[in-house]
Amino acid sequence: MTRILEVTNLTKSFGALTVAKDVSFDVAEGEVLGVIGPNGAGKTTLFGMLSGHITPSSGTVRFGGKDITTTPPHRRAQLGIGRTYQVPKPFGQMTVEQNLRVAATFAGQMDQRTADQWIGETLALTGLSAHAGALAGGLPLLVRKRHELARALAMRPRLLLIDEVAAGLTEEEVSAFITMVKSVRSLGIAVVWIEHVIRTMLTATDRLMVLADGQIVAVGSPEQVMALPETRRIYLGA
Amino acid sequence: MTTEDFYWALIDLANGLMTGATLGGYYALISVGLALTFGVMKLVNLSHGDWLIVAAYLAVVILGLYPVSPFWVLLPLVPMMFVIGYVLQRGLLNRVSTFAVERRGLSPIMAMMLPLLITFGISTVLSQALQLVFSTNAQTIRNDYSFSAIALSQDLSISTLRLGFLVLAAVLIGALALFIQRTHIGRAIRATSDDAEIAALMGMRTAHVYGVASGLSLMFAAFAGFMIGMSRSFQPFDGPPYLLTAFGVVVIGGLGSLGGCFLGGIVLGITQVLAGTYFGPAAQQLAGYLLILLVLAARPQGLFKR
Repeated sequence: MTRILEVTNLTKSFGALTVAKDVSFDVAEGEVLGVIGPNGAGKTTLFGMLSGHITPSSGTVRFGGKDITTTPPHRRAQLGIGRTYQVPKPFGQMTVEQNLRVAATFAGQMDQRTADQWIGETLALTGLSAHAGALAGGLPLLVRKRHELARALAMRPRLLLIDEVAAGLTEEEVSAFITMVKSVRSLGIAVVWIEHVIRTMLTATDRLMVLADGQIVAVGSPEQVMALPETRRIYLGA
Repeated sequence: MTTEDFYWALIDLANGLMTGATLGGYYALISVGLALTFGVMKLVNLSHGDWLIVAAYLAVVILGLYPVSPFWVLLPLVPMMFVIGYVLQRGLLNRVSTFAVERRGLSPIMAMMLPLLITFGISTVLSQALQLVFSTNAQTIRNDYSFSAIALSQDLSISTLRLGFLVLAAVLIGALALFIQRTHIGRAIRATSDDAEIAALMGMRTAHVYGVASGLSLMFAAFAGFMIGMSRSFQPFDGPPYLLTAFGVVVIGGLGSLGGCFLGGIVLGITQVLAGTYFGPAAQQLAGYLLILLVLAARPQGLFKR
């Protein structure tokens, strides 16, 4: 399989504090890679370096075969990297439809008509069709989380970075999300999915990566990784 | 009270309301640029007043070179000011935006202070430069409309120019609101003003979006400066009082709200003129500031913001 994302020796220090150290991994096209790790493991910093908001101290990020280590966030978005935030950040004064439209027309660079159709499909996929005209700032939490995913999808990304959706949701809501992520994968979109509540994501991920103290502790199939003593120590010990 | 007294009382009131409303249109145009930079970039542009005066001087210069009917001057002046705004933002102000300051790892205090210092500096440089080039002699845009008025009845009339500017303010602010609501780049302006980090993540080049917003701001300064030049005389150091008025309007209308700017201008205009009518000219400014104070105390989000 072709690799969509290649991360090599990525390191980030803030002064004396190193939050990512020699992180190297690949993501194949259409693959779902789960990322787990305790608080402060450097998961969100890693996403920042992938989406371009944080400049790494050293190392490279290649996307679709192209070096994007110094590419600014808006260009990465246009190249096809979408991201969601743990705390949803909709454009509150715009409707759901308008939120998706800016994503589709700016990051996705679609013309208005193509955008219309794609927005319709995205709304349907994320179960938001009924909320299309609502102001995004007024949505309840669960709908906001769906909206966060929908807007990232509206960009028509080739790689989607999902930052912790499960927190604060019920079992049922979480499984609804898993279904959504699975349909995202069936669209051929690769996913890197950070999660704190591990069990939720095991069924949807192809591979699992464990981060601790800014370093990769383990990578492999979910079963393998969960059986490793390192993983157990980090999770059961903590 | 005799019938005649009553009649004159009514005329006074009608006159006050009308003059106040037209003055309000003038205030609104002066303030839109400030509201826009604050609303989109969260930038308090202390040089806003000076840009109005720069536009007025530019109008005088252009009309000196090409003595056409004064309204034609808007044709080159408005795009010129847009370009100046865009370049100023990309070349200078973007470097001190909250975003840039954060990226450089400077403290939040710096994020607050740097734009103030820079725009205050621009204000000083602009007014000094104007003085150097034009000296302190008062200037005005010569025109035939300054003293013309439309008579509504025997005792009631309204300044043609002022009425024209009220209409202009309504049309321009309406057009700007539509532009921001409906167009591709307008949506980017709204998204960026809401959350610049997310806007970048959605593929918007925020540096460019800020440039456009700043260009629009100075475009409105062009209209306002032209209006100032048409209706009164101006000097190099006249900027700051206009900035103060604009602050008042923006506070009354609601920070960063465009419709609020228009209505806020009118409320301020009417308040000032009515106070002047009933309590004498000295009360005019005082009433304006009292109103601003009252709004700040009772409705700090502005009268016209949800």
